[in-house]
Amino acid sequence: MTESNDIPIRLTLNKSLKSVFCKPTETLLSLLRDGFGLTGSKRGCNQGLCGACTVLIDGKPMRSCLTIAATCNGRDVVTVEGLLENGKLSTMQQALVDSGGVQCGFCTPGVAIALTSLLREDPKPDRTKIREALSGHLCRCSGYIKIVDAAEAAAEKAGS
Amino acid sequence: MGPGMTFSEPETLDEVCSLLSKDPEARCLAGGASLVAMMNAGLLAPTQLISLRKIPDLGAITSMPDGSVKIGAMARHNDVAAFSGFLGAQRIISAAACRIGHPAIRNMGTIGGSICHADPSADYPTAITAADAVVSILGSEGARQVAARDFFVDWLETTLEQGEIAVSVTIPPDPSNASVHYEKFTRADGDFATVSVAACLGMSDGVVQTFRVVVGGVAEKPVRSPEDEAVFIGRPLKDSDIVEFSAALEALCNPIDDMRGSADYRLKLMPRLISRALKRAQADQLVSDSGETA
Ligand SMILES: Cc1cc2nc3c(=O)[nH]c(=O)nc-3n(C[C@H](O)[C@H](O)[C@H](O)COP(=O)(O)OP(=O)(O)OC[C@H]3O[C@@H](n4cnc5c(N)ncnc54)[C@H](O)[C@@H]3O)c2cc1C
Ligand code: FES
Ligand code: FES
Repeated sequence: MTESNDIPIRLTLNKSLKSVFCKPTETLLSLLRDGFGLTGSKRGCNQGLCGACTVLIDGKPMRSCLTIAATCNGRDVVTVEGLLENGKLSTMQQALVDSGGVQCGFCTPGVAIALTSLLREDPKPDRTKIREALSGHLCRCSGYIKIVDAAEAAAEKAGS
Repeated sequence: MGPGMTFSEPETLDEVCSLLSKDPEARCLAGGASLVAMMNAGLLAPTQLISLRKIPDLGAITSMPDGSVKIGAMARHNDVAAFSGFLGAQRIISAAACRIGHPAIRNMGTIGGSICHADPSADYPTAITAADAVVSILGSEGARQVAARDFFVDWLETTLEQGEIAVSVTIPPDPSNASVHYEKFTRADGDFATVSVAACLGMSDGVVQTFRVVVGGVAEKPVRSPEDEAVFIGRPLKDSDIVEFSAALEALCNPIDDMRGSADYRLKLMPRLISRALKRAQADQLVSDSGETA
């Protein structure tokens, strides 16, 4: 139900143009999960701390839980669902699976976004750079080593 | 969320100030990294969110003809960290910016939001105080400029009055070409500091020309003492002076116990971090004195 102070916005979401109404204080995370049914992005803390809600906004990783949805008018948003290439897992996503970088999977959407962004900016990052990109992504199954392995494997695969 | 809650994206600063001046519960929205976190935690329920996103050029970082650098309030932490136009003591700003939070937070958060939020454990308040920066403020009553040292008033409180916003932060030039070191002690990577030290040290012919040391996380606002700094000028940098200086600063501290450390622990950290920051800055000065590039 729309109310008088709802805000109409248009955004590009996972490459398709969407028009939607949002509440003045609605976060992008709520809009994605409850409005669009894109439940890949997780609400871990709603405080910016855990990284599970991280999405790309205009190509840069940002916290959807701290982003007011209305500020996304005219912007480009990519969630973990949008990383798929021709309906298949991207190289980075597949590497997370193959390297055992996914355990319970709760941190995985944010991790996949962060590492995808890293590899776009730096196709051959060393392990320190990979760890820096993962700063702010808490994995409570604490599988960080495998996640770093996955980023290295994806970089190698993309480079070959 | 209240029923009357509204969101707007004005395109002029005057409009922002006018909206803010009419409603004490309205808040301007910059990166949202602190404001939305507080709303999500139920600590704050503004009646209006006034986004600063559509104001032209508010995120610009500009080298001015007089050598100063003007940083627009909406400049993101990552853009400030990557700006290569800082010289001498000005570099304390980028040294602090690159230590703020995590990559995603640095893509969102702004210098205006950080200083207006005024968390004494945050990195910019300490750094802009050490840089002798000036904050430009605009309100419905007109514009004013405030030295960083007078901008911060108390925990989460600044000199800003209702209807006023921070427009830019100007970092003055440093002819002494000082070295800088930002020493941040955290329990976990990307957290706010338990204690942080911003140091600017300029030396020439073995004696100190520029000396500014500011400590964050130990009081309601950044701790600085120009009188105690003045002692160093024109003399070699001596360990005994640094020890005395740290003791003098301790008298100005008012630390709290929290999850990042006890008050006592903070006071124990402070002299060690001050000495480390100055040693690192001095090492850089020696390198640049001997004509090598760092
Ligand atoms: C997980 C996490 C880790 C963090 N780690 C650190 C850290 O290590 N060090 C650190 O320093 N900070 C840290 N922060 C805080 C971060 O730097 C924020 O970006 C910053 O404090 C607020 O900036 P913002 O642009 O997001 O402001 P917002 O959250 O949008 O606004 C903050 C406040 O300032 C007001 N405001 C914003 N802009 C203006 C303006 N131009 N004029 C007047 N008022 C204004 C708003 O109304 C609000 O009250 C962290 C935050 C998170 C979520
Ligand atoms: S839910 Fe956004 S960072 Fe945890
Ligand atoms: S896989 Fe379980 S939180 Fe990371």
